[in-house]
Amino acid sequence: MSGFSPARWVLASSLAVVFAAAGQGLWAQGSVAESVPAHVTDQREQAGDVPAVPSQVPDGGREWWSPGEGRALPRLVEYANPHGRLALLNTEAPVETSGHPFFEPLGPNGRACVSCHQPADGMGLSLQSIRERWEETDGKDPIFAAIDGSNCPSLPQGDRASHSLLLERGLFRIFLPWPPRDPLGEGTLEPEFTIEVVRDPGTCNLDPQYGLASANPMISVYRRPRVVANLPYVVHRNFGVGPFVGKTGEPALRDPANGEPVNMNLMADAREPTLGTQAIEASITHLQLLQGLTPAQVAQIVAFERQLFAAQVTDAIGGNLLLGEGGKAFGPENLAAGEIGVLGNNTTRWVFPVDAAWAEPNPALSAEANARRASIRRGQQLFHFRTFWIRDSMHLNTVGLGNPAKRTCATCHGMHMTGLDTANGWMDIGTTNLPWAREVPRNPWTEERELMPLFKITCRADLPPHPYLGRVFYTQDPGRALISGKCNDVGTIVMQQFRGLAARAPYFSNGSASSLRELIDFYDRRYNVQYSEQEKVDLENFMAAL
Amino acid sequence: MSVGRLVPMTLAALAVLSTPVMAQQRAIAFVACPIVRDTSKVPCWISEYRGETYYLGIQSDVSAPFNPPSLGHRALVEGVPQGGDRICGGIVLEPVKVSVMPELSPECDEVLMAEPRYELPFEPPRPPGPSGGRLAFAPPESPPPPEPPFVARTFEIYFPFEGTVDFKTPGALQEVWDYAAAIRAREIRIEGHRAAVRLSDGTLIEEREGIGRSRASEVARMFTGLVASVEKMEFSSSERAELGDWRRRKVSIEVLP
Repeated sequence: MSGFSPARWVLASSLAVVFAAAGQGLWAQGSVAESVPAHVTDQREQAGDVPAVPSQVPDGGREWWSPGEGRALPRLVEYANPHGRLALLNTEAPVETSGHPFFEPLGPNGRACVSCHQPADGMGLSLQSIRERWEETDGKDPIFAAIDGSNCPSLPQGDRASHSLLLERGLFRIFLPWPPRDPLGEGTLEPEFTIEVVRDPGTCNLDPQYGLASANPMISVYRRPRVVANLPYVVHRNFGVGPFVGKTGEPALRDPANGEPVNMNLMADAREPTLGTQAIEASITHLQLLQGLTPAQVAQIVAFERQLFAAQVTDAIGGNLLLGEGGKAFGPENLAAGEIGVLGNNTTRWVFPVDAAWAEPNPALSAEANARRASIRRGQQLFHFRTFWIRDSMHLNTVGLGNPAKRTCATCHGMHMTGLDTANGWMDIGTTNLPWAREVPRNPWTEERELMPLFKITCRADLPPHPYLGRVFYTQDPGRALISGKCNDVGTIVMQQFRGLAARAPYFSNGSASSLRELIDFYDRRYNVQYSEQEKVDLENFMAAL
Repeated sequence: MSVGRLVPMTLAALAVLSTPVMAQQRAIAFVACPIVRDTSKVPCWISEYRGETYYLGIQSDVSAPFNPPSLGHRALVEGVPQGGDRICGGIVLEPVKVSVMPELSPECDEVLMAEPRYELPFEPPRPPGPSGGRLAFAPPESPPPPEPPFVARTFEIYFPFEGTVDFKTPGALQEVWDYAAAIRAREIRIEGHRAAVRLSDGTLIEEREGIGRSRASEVARMFTGLVASVEKMEFSSSERAELGDWRRRKVSIEVLP
């Protein structure tokens, strides 16, 4: 007979800080507002409504935000990208970034949150921006910090080869303890599999100081930064969020501040429950601020992050996406006004609502623009209605639909306005697990070598094998399994929102799709969708417009 | 046949299954590859045994009582053959329990194309694309809240063959939590069981050793912190393979005031 007392939530005891209060700007506190004439309040509101820096650059030129610059983030700002223009809506604008913990280099390596969450990139970070920073700073920008902006801290810093994963795929190093800590209790979990480093081009998994055999055993994987915008959707506690993970039945993580279950859709491996805990972890692992953030700083960051909405507003050919009736899917204002955390995979709400009327030919537009709008609308219809056989995808084919399931894109990407999963959303679609993950072919004639690490996974003999991959298989990133220790979680990744895609290539957590077209091609191969060329074009145009 | 007719049929057949003698006379149990047959709407799932085709069910959504199995694996099918019209070319099994066998079986890879003669004779509750704004099946109604005197009560939660906690378990446990909370339970005892099934061809198949403990420990973990009044929680397991039908694959949960 085994027994235990009802455990207390460990996170609650360690992180039960009060995140509320504090964190409001001086204006919001009233001290500044009371010390200036009343008209300044009106002037301030208009100043916040006017697109700022990019509007002064007719071609919508890109602009990098460095930590500690101290400029204001207005209510609405637009940036050009290869598919048109993206708008960032800051609903509590303007924000003075001087002294703001999201923008200030709080740690010793010179980084701030904004380093990897750039307004021009939809609050993500594009590979284009990374490469531009390398050229402009000769590799000295804080984003190339040794801790995670290089393949491994032990490599010679400043050497391009030492930063190849960041410069080639836009990937930062994420280092996680192995075996994993028990998120619901004390100590470590007993993993359901063993992990062996087969290939380690980044050198960190076999590094004697930072690797798996070090005194502090760590596994290094390499992932893309996620988007810090539209976050009320990402961290919603509405449909599908409860005490248990909807796809597996396991207990869900809880908010340490109030004990409420969270949806676990924030990070690629769902390891952090809230924006606050994520900020604390990021300040330590990315900024090297070892003492972590203060509660006031956490509150200020979280409040700021929740007020940002990013979406494309202009298509390079189709023009203003907000033009006409029925385009509720488009633009950050519609996102900010949307219904949070509800299913859209239905005919009553849609994931991305684009009415037929929106795509009707508009005599005020060119034929080319009208054709592009028609293509975007067709893409929206394909997203919702084009069925294909979804097969061998962990946490999709195991949740009651059968394997295979005849469904559509919107089956998994079902959350209204974002295409996220409303429930806890980690799945394995094959982006990191072989045989589907992108791998450089090995042969006598190819000099190119794969950048990603490769791990051999052997599921324990006393447990069932992975239902689709068997007992022994390979992965570039075990994903959620580095947190849960479960064989079935190997290679499962929390999906990302569909917003601002045009501004932040490459895609997937490991940056394996360099363009939207490559992303679509991946699905086409993976699920034998057999998209026509026109369908691919329409889907690409649709996704680029979000 | 309408979907509406399937539901009372399920209840009737359940009654049959709960009568051991009759159930033994009529129920069949076999392990075979599942087969997908596409239709112009949603796919249906069938399986073949001793030269006969059996209809298992259709794809709908997570709310459905029937969850299709998996290609790449054999399935344990336990059901009662029904007379009447075939569906998707198969004799209807109702009720039916389908368990995905854990070992990989790559030979199970048959997807049949849609044919007019195998169109579904009813409108599926959920199309393969966007829904009409609701889940295919409404959740079962909650039982009325318990009234004093509060007594110890035992609940049983069932699993597929070789199955442990999955996406359906929280729903099955809801009544237990509700009861525990309502009576301010002070102690919960959980016992996991391991089962065996006698197939129609006489073969005996047993669940893996240790599954009783896995079931019990995983369910116990689900109770962690959920009912504030609980002072003591214990779990145990029986690893003797108990011969019987799906009701042997279970966790028993005793809730004590």
